[in-house]
Amino acid sequence: MSSEQVWEVFRQEAEGDPMVHGGSVNAPDAELALHYAREFYGRRQESHRLWVVPREAITELDDPDLLKPPFDRSFKRPGGYIIKHKLEAAKARAALDEP
Amino acid sequence: MDQQARPTQPSGDAEAFYAHVGSGGKVEADDWMPDEYRAAVLKFVEMHANSELMGVLPERDWILRAPNLKRKLALTSKIQDEVGHAQLLYRVAEDLGKPRDAMLADLLAGKTKFHNVFHYPTRSWGDVGIIAWLVDAAAIVSQQALRDSSYAPYARTMKKICWEESVHIMHGRDVVLTLMNGTDAQRALVQEALDRWWGPLMQMHGPPTDPARDKDLHWRIKAKNNEQLRQEFLSIYVPRIRELGLRIPDPVLRYDAPSGRWEYTEPDWDELRAVVTGHGPASQQRLEFRRLNFADTQWVRDALGGSAAAAA
Amino acid sequence: MTDLTPAARDGLAELLLTLADDELVIGYWDSEWTGIAPLLEEDVAMSSISQDEIGHAAALYGMLGELTGRDPDEFAYGRQPDAYRHAPLLDHPRTDWAFTIARRFLYETADAARLESLAASSHAPLAQLIAKMRREERYHLMHLEAWVRRLAEAGGAVRERLADAFAALGPDATAVLGPLDAEEALLANGILPEPMAAIRTRWIERVGATYDGLGLSRPTGDVGPGARERHGAAFTWLHGEMTMVSRSEAGATW
Repeated sequence: MSSEQVWEVFRQEAEGDPMVHGGSVNAPDAELALHYAREFYGRRQESHRLWVVPREAITELDDPDLLKPPFDRSFKRPGGYIIKHKLEAAKARAALDEP
Repeated sequence: MDQQARPTQPSGDAEAFYAHVGSGGKVEADDWMPDEYRAAVLKFVEMHANSELMGVLPERDWILRAPNLKRKLALTSKIQDEVGHAQLLYRVAEDLGKPRDAMLADLLAGKTKFHNVFHYPTRSWGDVGIIAWLVDAAAIVSQQALRDSSYAPYARTMKKICWEESVHIMHGRDVVLTLMNGTDAQRALVQEALDRWWGPLMQMHGPPTDPARDKDLHWRIKAKNNEQLRQEFLSIYVPRIRELGLRIPDPVLRYDAPSGRWEYTEPDWDELRAVVTGHGPASQQRLEFRRLNFADTQWVRDALGGSAAAAA
Repeated sequence: MTDLTPAARDGLAELLLTLADDELVIGYWDSEWTGIAPLLEEDVAMSSISQDEIGHAAALYGMLGELTGRDPDEFAYGRQPDAYRHAPLLDHPRTDWAFTIARRFLYETADAARLESLAASSHAPLAQLIAKMRREERYHLMHLEAWVRRLAEAGGAVRERLADAFAALGPDATAVLGPLDAEEALLANGILPEPMAAIRTRWIERVGATYDGLGLSRPTGDVGPGARERHGAAFTWLHGEMTMVSRSEAGATW
């Protein structure tokens, strides 16, 4: 079956959920790929929506230098701001300033 | 490299790789991996895929014979799921570099193996219950342990398979319970089936292996050894079998509290070896059935491959 | 059900039995492909379609059971072979893939034609059940059309296999939409919105393009009498398999 392609299947569990990769099917074209995606990722009524994409259409990035670079980036994430002590100090000073 | 396998990255360091998988790290299809690891995973997954495909045949005998509409749907659906599992597993194996046609050809030529339990005949509706309940249960004990495999595509597939298999065991247990609550003849069907299937079930997880030499364990392709799996199966299912009034055909079988393990008659490992190398009671008949079916349907696969190939 | 005349009840029972037996028997034949279809992916698809038919049969027997007091399993497993009322199209065994696809396509298109008509049935419970079935049958038609097209377009020997199957099955397929014994009563009540002959003509028009494309003559509208009453050796074999376990212990629960 050398003309068969591999199709990646993404599924949405419930309305509003993100599309999540489920697996892949072999099929000669998009029409049958869709039917087979329904069978493997939807025949038990377990999916709200399916996307079927030829594997070659996917461009992958898994380079750690790009995705997990070494320098501190905590300024980009909520966990990078710890205000507990500053807040306590500010409240204490404000209490002293009250008439 | 087959067009379906992803392009590999430049070669890496085997020592670092094994340290990575040994400490719980994961591997994806297009990551660099040592040839040995790739071959070991492929062999493991291929045998699993073959087993799902051959495992369809014992139950297919009964697909037209289910005694009511509910059982007809449940059994057809179960067998459908096994075919689906074969697809999922062959897909994982294909992405390691071996085309599906090559795997099917090797299976049909007797070059690759499938699990022992699928080499035995079925004789009655009692077998249908016992297989769906206990054979699937023994399989799920292995499969749950594989959900943490170092080879991530396999681990993810095992999660899906375990979820789907849980329904089968419930169906199997329901069939057995219904028979046990039925007539004397129905209870006898179950006991007789259990008498025949107990031996293969005890052999199913394989002989105890030396952990130091078990590469699949070392590289965390699998996470538990054969004996651990068998003990787990016995702990859960012996009580459930006995509480129905069924006799397990092993007079030695008992739980030894001080050692925390089940004692049992040593399974016939010679029988296991003979069976998985194609000398089981139904091995050749089933392989021949698949060969004929495969030959009969080749024109369809060729037709899908494009008009040029369809001129057969 | 209580507001039906005896004639209407009998007519409805006949109609339900033909629908249910058709779905049961084709569901059974095609379920045989489970595990041995040409492609793993297709194996799962064909099995789903077969399971749908068994489910529809169960629902139809359920409705029939409300009229007659018998339960679905009694209908499905408790009759002698010649008491089944499925169409001759379904008396053929599974045979090979081309035959299965052709037979399935002919069945699905004929079934779609009658369900489309029955959706307007005056008998509300039937109309509702039909509406549910049609939603599932859409996929069957999509899938079978996809296969007929692919096999026809493959040309050569593949196309010939398909054409041979269509040619052989034409008359038996027409009989799916054959006249019902109680058609007059059903039409009078509006349970059947239009004569089977009208549905048949429409169906022939719809599958006509497929026959034309394969270079075959279209099915004529002729249906022999009692087409659903006699079944041959293949169905007798299937019936034996279907009832083997249920017959082994009469009255037992499985």
